[in-house]
Amino acid sequence: MDYKSGVCNFCGTGCGNYLRISDGKITGVYSSRNHPVSKGRLCVRGWHIHEWLMTDQRISSPMIKVDGSFKNVTYEEAVNFMMEKLSPYMGSSAKAIGFLGAPRWSNENNYLFMKLARSVFKTNNITLDSESGHRGSLNVLSKVTGFPAMTGSLEQIEKTKFIMVIGSDLTRINPIIGSEIHKAQMAGTKVVTLGSRKTQMAKLSNLHLQCRPGTLKLTIALIAKVAIEKGYMDKNSASSMAGFNDFASSLAAINMAEAIGSTGISLDDIDSVAKELCGSESAMAFWSTGISGADEDTVSYIANLFLIAGKVGKENCGLNSITGLANLQGGYDMGVAPDLLTGFQSYSDGAVRSKFEKAWQVQLPAEVGNDVYQLLENKNKDLKVLFVAEHDEGIVKYEKEIANLDFVVYFGSYDNPFVNHADVVFPIAALIEDDGTYTNTERRVQISQKRIQAFNGVLSVRELFSMIAAKSGVKWSYNSSEDVFKEIASLTPSYSGLSYDKLINSTGIQWPCNSEYPNGCKSFLLKSGTALSFAKVSGTFPAVNVSEAFPFLLIPGRGEYFWHQNNIMKKSYIPKREYNATLLVYPKGFIEINSEDAKKLQVREHWTVKISSDKGSMNVSVKISEDVKPGTAYVPYFIKEMITDFLLGHSDKSDMGLDATIPVRIERV
Amino acid sequence: MYLIEKENVMKIAEELAKNYELFGPVVDKGTGQVFFDRVNDSSEISLSAEIPAIPPKHVVFPQIERIMKYKYDRSAKKAEIEAILDNRSKAIFGIRPCDLTGLIVLDRFFLGQEFVDEIYREHRKRMFIVSQNCIAPFKQCFCVCTDSGPFADEGYDLNLTLLGDYYLVEAGSDKGKELVQRLGLKSADPSYAEMKKKANDKSISLFESIATDNKAWISRVMNRITTGFIKEDVWEYIGKQCFECGACTFVCPTCSCFNVEDHNRFDGTTDRLRTWDSCSFEGYTKMAGDHNPRHPVEDRRNKRFFCKLSYSQSKKYLRPGCVGCGRCQWVCPGDIGLPNVVTYIRREITE
Amino acid sequence: MNNIVDGKIVTVPEIATIEEIKDEIQDVKTFYLKFDNPEVEKNFKIKSGQFVMLTVFGAGESAISLPPSPENDRFHLSVRRVGKVTDALHALQVGDKVGIRGPFGNGFPFEEIKGKNIIYVAGGIGLIPLRSSIVHALQHRNEFGRIIVLLGARTPKDLMYQYNIEEWLKIPGFECYVTVDQPTDGWTGHTGFVNSLIDKANIPVENTVAFVCGPPVMFNSVINDLMKRGLKDDCIISTLERHMKCGIGKCQHCAIGRTLVCTDGPVYTYKQIKTLGEEI
Ligand SMILES: Cc1cc2nc3c(=O)[nH]c(=O)nc-3n(C[C@H](O)[C@H](O)[C@H](O)COP(=O)(O)OP(=O)(O)OC[C@H]3O[C@@H](n4cnc5c(N)ncnc54)[C@H](O)[C@@H]3O)c2cc1C
Ligand code: SF4
Ligand code: SF4
Ligand code: SF4
Repeated sequence: MDYKSGVCNFCGTGCGNYLRISDGKITGVYSSRNHPVSKGRLCVRGWHIHEWLMTDQRISSPMIKVDGSFKNVTYEEAVNFMMEKLSPYMGSSAKAIGFLGAPRWSNENNYLFMKLARSVFKTNNITLDSESGHRGSLNVLSKVTGFPAMTGSLEQIEKTKFIMVIGSDLTRINPIIGSEIHKAQMAGTKVVTLGSRKTQMAKLSNLHLQCRPGTLKLTIALIAKVAIEKGYMDKNSASSMAGFNDFASSLAAINMAEAIGSTGISLDDIDSVAKELCGSESAMAFWSTGISGADEDTVSYIANLFLIAGKVGKENCGLNSITGLANLQGGYDMGVAPDLLTGFQSYSDGAVRSKFEKAWQVQLPAEVGNDVYQLLENKNKDLKVLFVAEHDEGIVKYEKEIANLDFVVYFGSYDNPFVNHADVVFPIAALIEDDGTYTNTERRVQISQKRIQAFNGVLSVRELFSMIAAKSGVKWSYNSSEDVFKEIASLTPSYSGLSYDKLINSTGIQWPCNSEYPNGCKSFLLKSGTALSFAKVSGTFPAVNVSEAFPFLLIPGRGEYFWHQNNIMKKSYIPKREYNATLLVYPKGFIEINSEDAKKLQVREHWTVKISSDKGSMNVSVKISEDVKPGTAYVPYFIKEMITDFLLGHSDKSDMGLDATIPVRIERV
Repeated sequence: MYLIEKENVMKIAEELAKNYELFGPVVDKGTGQVFFDRVNDSSEISLSAEIPAIPPKHVVFPQIERIMKYKYDRSAKKAEIEAILDNRSKAIFGIRPCDLTGLIVLDRFFLGQEFVDEIYREHRKRMFIVSQNCIAPFKQCFCVCTDSGPFADEGYDLNLTLLGDYYLVEAGSDKGKELVQRLGLKSADPSYAEMKKKANDKSISLFESIATDNKAWISRVMNRITTGFIKEDVWEYIGKQCFECGACTFVCPTCSCFNVEDHNRFDGTTDRLRTWDSCSFEGYTKMAGDHNPRHPVEDRRNKRFFCKLSYSQSKKYLRPGCVGCGRCQWVCPGDIGLPNVVTYIRREITE
Repeated sequence: MNNIVDGKIVTVPEIATIEEIKDEIQDVKTFYLKFDNPEVEKNFKIKSGQFVMLTVFGAGESAISLPPSPENDRFHLSVRRVGKVTDALHALQVGDKVGIRGPFGNGFPFEEIKGKNIIYVAGGIGLIPLRSSIVHALQHRNEFGRIIVLLGARTPKDLMYQYNIEEWLKIPGFECYVTVDQPTDGWTGHTGFVNSLIDKANIPVENTVAFVCGPPVMFNSVINDLMKRGLKDDCIISTLERHMKCGIGKCQHCAIGRTLVCTDGPVYTYKQIKTLGEEI
């Protein structure tokens, strides 16, 4: 039989699939019916993963840049070239070298990337590309529950009685999770969606709280406030947890009438959600952590609301941070962060550090590192050298800064416009050309096995990094990905019970998997002795006042039209066509406005309007949509072609995630 | 009519394997999922496995198929084109009646109409089909509603029915008879015809208790869909639940839409690929200059059901397009597989 | 069957060479082609209203209408640049090779309309699929009543086949009316949408057929006006465009209701179009 089991590598859902491999070539994909997450489903991306995997648009040879143009060389030559060029920077300054990791790479590759940075190049400036937002969720969850990941399980969606989806359109970003929620809703679970746009998720919900842009956090706070004040809350335990009083008093400070006014939601709706959430037998919260996902403060409010409702650490409950990229969770698990080692172990913890020093037989710098994006932004230009793994077009924002660096190293499998920024390029084996494990949003560690030979004889990350390490006098002796995984398990308490033996022929195991949880752990359950505590909240809510000069609230977002428009998707046919379908109609971008507003502005579909804010202006086409309320407008900024200077000028805002809004004026031109 | 002992039935597959590439139901050890796929050895086949998750459609209509290869040397102005036809001889062993009916539908579509699809014909030319009747249905089946099972009555070279310790073997073609003779199977006496009929009745009676996932009484719905008398909001209700994944098309034994792409290879040649496509996608019909005749998703959805369940489309297939396999129901993220859609439409009719 | 040479596989193109390239209007070029195989060149017979599947090597395949007349005309295609395949085509030069399959489609009912008045209404590049029929009708000028062409374009620069029109105007009894939406400097002709020409031309209604081709908005309003004038729906003929991947009725991209544009069309009467059950 030609069908071999695998794992989808697009989003963080981690759907199981079967790849068809005939005569060493990939010839198709099929869904996995008995997989606990996907249960026979895949989304449009998953159904076309073979189109991407069979592409010949690959990097076929190592390249070095000499006098501004690339030259094909051997791996040996490329490594020598790189080491020679880098020698002046080694040990020069703690901020000179940065590593940007790939949230789509396997755990093994990310682990080695982190190890290469720390043990060979002696830097802790390590950051995961694209989705720094996930870190905020991990911080909150770790603080509140001691569990640095999504606490619930996707398998339990069908069992929970109440679901709150915050912000993002899961039907687009993580369709199979969206599907699971939809099916639960059809079977009787109450689903409430919070967000300012009428997404498909919102349409499939029992109730949509369509708050005004910028008031999502406030809406969550109000639900918590009502839950406390009306006495719906879990009085037995919540009020005795650490931090309750601070949180309660910060809520008490909110002026109800005023707040209700600015959210645009009726008190009745807030009341009924508070009551149902608290009264329900079980409940789950879902939010996207990535691009335009919830920021740390919003996540704190969500977690605190669920503590108040008594829905943390119980059967079929969950605080569910949803990752948009296949191994985003795994990337953090592998310590691809300036202050973390594997399994969320703190780098600052001397005991932890010496454990790694002993295993790696190196001295590690004592100081934690810096976030690479901050280094790129900082005015002193301390960063000189950047290592980038499989760039996903997320750092297009920093194109100028990257062009100004002294030296850029690129590791990747596919043709990628980013390659032009690099001084040395290393091709590496792609998914299914090497064994590797991936950790989905619910901590499920799954194996994707080597199924085909590497393209044009390119090396695996393991082979390449071992070569680089050897060049600098460090001996890495891994014969297989399994060897790497064994090392990970030996250094990582939450992974210590995992092995390739257990993962092969399984549909994955959810960490922690160790002596306490030999078969893994579906969801975080409160045991006697573990204490929950409230997260600290800011108590401040962004002002979202429109003025006469700027009467519209603009939401810059990418959730709704987010089809993983990234480098790999562009190597496919059908997902690319679907993504282009939007682009084609609005080649220069669009702004969604309500038909009422269109009438007032006297514009029609496709007409051009000028949008101005205090920082600048841009012209885009009108798209009339009832998905936004009157007085609000939506601009997608995911498409490079659509990223105008206007939106880049507001990048501080777009980083605010769900509550990002820009007051603007819209005029007919 | 002939007989073969139950334990010897795989001899037929072994005999076929001598001259054909062999395809049959295979159980994946990892997850227990059943596939219908190529085997290297007949021992991989599990005849009694449940209805396969993937229909044998891909044997004659692969998910991606190279239909042509070319090389254009622009500086020398030289173009070379090579047609690629799959001329392997394939035997399909153990296909179930619903999927066999699916194959017949594909035949009528690809080989009938104005043009014969020669790429498809090449797959079918040298094919040997051994079907097996379902002596009991599976949970997801509703072939009794779509007149495509549980027993097969045409389209096979050999047809197997398990009757106690024996398989009844019926030959549906000269090729089939020839194989039976080569294997020296003994003839079955006429009483077996009666036994087979009883087994068929028994199987049908079992649907009530076993095939509980799906029911789809399609005849009244077909009438409605053909005449278009279905309220907009029913389609809207259905369309709003579609996640636009394409799965319903991919898993359906009778869906045959395809895309064509030229795939440039590293060695400078280009493969022309024919790949599965789906009418649920926005880009499927979208044309330049913002014209999409099927813009709202519900328009695209009702197209699929029009294709499966209208008389006008049935004229091409000489039967309804749905063969009652139930696959589109369990793969659909939106929970709007054909059986559910039929239910929603019937609900409207009765209201 | 419609194969170029019998025995050939209908999915495999014939190689042709670009002999000449003419810039038409913005983003539209005309390519004059010749088949490399003389046998194919000789046997390549078309009907007005048909189309071919054009392969641009390395890019893909597209459906393109046939503008040449079935008799005594050079084989050429006029193509607008809109995407992958058409961009690649525009980058080709004289001497480059392309692939051609076809011709496909039903074509205009030439025999049935003999003796009638013909009105052609084209918007923008809608003239491309009508050109073949216009030339053919003019080649048989005596077999028809009035032959009227109503042409609309966005600006004077968007008028297709101007050099052809000048030629045709020399033929006695050929009537041509042109209008633009946005007149530019020096435009002395009519201004307004193409419908406005219907009155101006004082079109006949009895014993008349109209061929209409252009963007959907224009199409709908022209048909409205023609019907108001009294033309019957089965006397209004158009060609439809759809996404098309195979040309032989199998890929299903061009399905409209129960019809397939590639094999049942692309030519339909308005009466047929109305019963297709989908938006046009
Ligand atoms: C019967 C028929 C006759 C045609 N005749 C001509 C002609 O004479 N001259 C001419 O310039 N064009 C003609 N077209 C349109 C032409 O086929 C498309 O413009 C072309 O296929 C676009 O291909 P592409 O790869 O360049 O664009 P893509 O990169 O594939 O796509 C660009 C855009 O074109 C759209 N598109 C793709 N196929 C079609 C299509 N068949 N019709 C409309 N839009 C499409 C895509 O959806 C997308 O919006 C005809 C189409 C049909 C069906
Ligand atoms: S939901 Fe995510 S993991 Fe599942 S098929 Fe789609 S992209 Fe792949
Ligand atoms: S429509 Fe659904 S149930 Fe019917 S044949 Fe297709 S996949 Fe099977
Ligand atoms: S399987 Fe369901 S969700 Fe997917 S395209 Fe078909 S109807 Fe839509």
